[in-house]
Amino acid sequence: MMELLINSLPLLGMGTVTTLYLSAAAIVLSTALGLAFALCQLYGGLLLRIVVEIYLYIMRGVPLLVLLFTMYYAAPYAGMEIDPTTGGIVVIAAYFGAFMTEVFRAAVLSVPVAQWEAGKAIGLTGKRIFTDIVARQAMRVAGPAYVNTCIGVVKGTSLVAIIGLVDLTYVGRQIVERTLAPFEIFGFVALVYFLICYALSRLGKYLERRLNYVN
Amino acid sequence: MSQSGSVKLENVVKRHGSFTALQGISLDIRPGEFFALLGPSGSGKTTTLRILAGLESVNEGRVLLDDVDVTHAQPGERDVAMVFQSYALYPHMTVAENIAFPLKMMGTPAATIEDAVQEAAAKVGIGRLLSRRPGQLSGGQQQRCALARAIVRKPRLFLLDEPLSNLDAKLRVDTRAELRRLQRSLGVTTVYVTHDQEEAMTVADRIAVFMEGRIVQVGTPKEVFLRPANAVVAAFIGTPPMNLMPAKLAGGQVRVHGAGLPAGGAHGLGERDVTLGLRPGDLRIADQGIPARVEFIEDLGDSVIAIVTVGDQHMKMRLDQHAVPQEGQQVFLSFAPAAAHLFDRQTGERLPSD
Repeated sequence: MMELLINSLPLLGMGTVTTLYLSAAAIVLSTALGLAFALCQLYGGLLLRIVVEIYLYIMRGVPLLVLLFTMYYAAPYAGMEIDPTTGGIVVIAAYFGAFMTEVFRAAVLSVPVAQWEAGKAIGLTGKRIFTDIVARQAMRVAGPAYVNTCIGVVKGTSLVAIIGLVDLTYVGRQIVERTLAPFEIFGFVALVYFLICYALSRLGKYLERRLNYVN
Repeated sequence: MSQSGSVKLENVVKRHGSFTALQGISLDIRPGEFFALLGPSGSGKTTTLRILAGLESVNEGRVLLDDVDVTHAQPGERDVAMVFQSYALYPHMTVAENIAFPLKMMGTPAATIEDAVQEAAAKVGIGRLLSRRPGQLSGGQQQRCALARAIVRKPRLFLLDEPLSNLDAKLRVDTRAELRRLQRSLGVTTVYVTHDQEEAMTVADRIAVFMEGRIVQVGTPKEVFLRPANAVVAAFIGTPPMNLMPAKLAGGQVRVHGAGLPAGGAHGLGERDVTLGLRPGDLRIADQGIPARVEFIEDLGDSVIAIVTVGDQHMKMRLDQHAVPQEGQQVFLSFAPAAAHLFDRQTGERLPSD
């Protein structure tokens, strides 16, 4: 069994690197989208808010797998040639960006109105109040839910195997088909996913402690 | 920064959709005055404070600070400091950073900020708490931090929105005196919102009593207590508040439930329906007078509150410990002629007394 795993390590390592790359890229992009859309929802004009609202309903209402299939199979019919890696990252980011939007929006709304007014009363602009007072407090509120969503992104990347991206899940499946040792290989794959997610949750806990200003 | 701070509101109207929060109020607050806005919830006092701060716009009327029209000026242009009911301390900053924040935003040099923070903290007695965060402070300490953050800028106007409402009863009483002392030492014009009339009576130089978006009376605590402008103010001021009952004026006497008693100001008012107002401390048990039945006795230690019924109306009277009737006892109530407050039954307005 150990020999099997050792022989498979180069392939599994390559798959892990792809998964980490996909996860990191999707987290960065979904965070950017989440922040942008949250700000649009909170402070944008009516039209912008309606557009964002529609996007949120679609993303939260359609399974990620269906969105990936749509990108992979339907996009070429519309004359859009998308490289699967880029497409995978964009779809995962767009999907989880919707959840991040809600995380950030709720966090900003959780900051009491009096905090805005205290800033206004000393003559701060809305932008200054947001950056110096509100965002700092919202970050702390958003922290746990944000880390959970990031963990969701990592696990969500496993679906890109279905559209042929050579990530950890895809590599695992290939090795199993060759070696007929599903327990060992998928056990190891599961362990790698667990370790990535565990590392993220520990990082989240650390940041939570750092941002905890109650005592 | 200037420190005179006269305040004028001229016929200020504020509407929220179809609801009119302020119905054309006018106020004149003198420099250095401790001025209380007193009234029940929803009477418009906090809206008035927010208008002074520039956090709410007005639909009609003008706001003047030191005779300069600031009706449309931004909050930061008004040189006012506000202490919010929730204190609105920044939880991610230490006490020192909270106090320093307004100065930092104004671009004050760091050395000046440090001195100003120490001075403001010392004034409110939190010099040893500067490194703590708001979450590590008690309610009273948070309130002092909010006060320090407001006074550090040396504003010309100091606005306090129910700053004692989150404190326990004993601390509230202690802090009242502290606030008064602080205001006197700073000499800053202070506008103080409260629904607690005892609070307003003890701290304010003058009080404006708000009812349903209108100012119904402005005066010193003594004036408002001794000569309430109408029955609504009379029922609101005092602990317990004034007893009000329907009565008739006839032949220089006030007639209540068949009993005729002399009342100050009854002469020259002719025969008319009135509302008779009597403070609980002005009622006494006598051999004859208004027939009443003692329902309940509340023992306060140094005195008692007797709840009595006159006809179908409940009234409260404050008595000494040595003259306490029994519950269920039939008694007669009397009062000194000068203690009677007479109000027009229709309008509720105070009737002129001798």
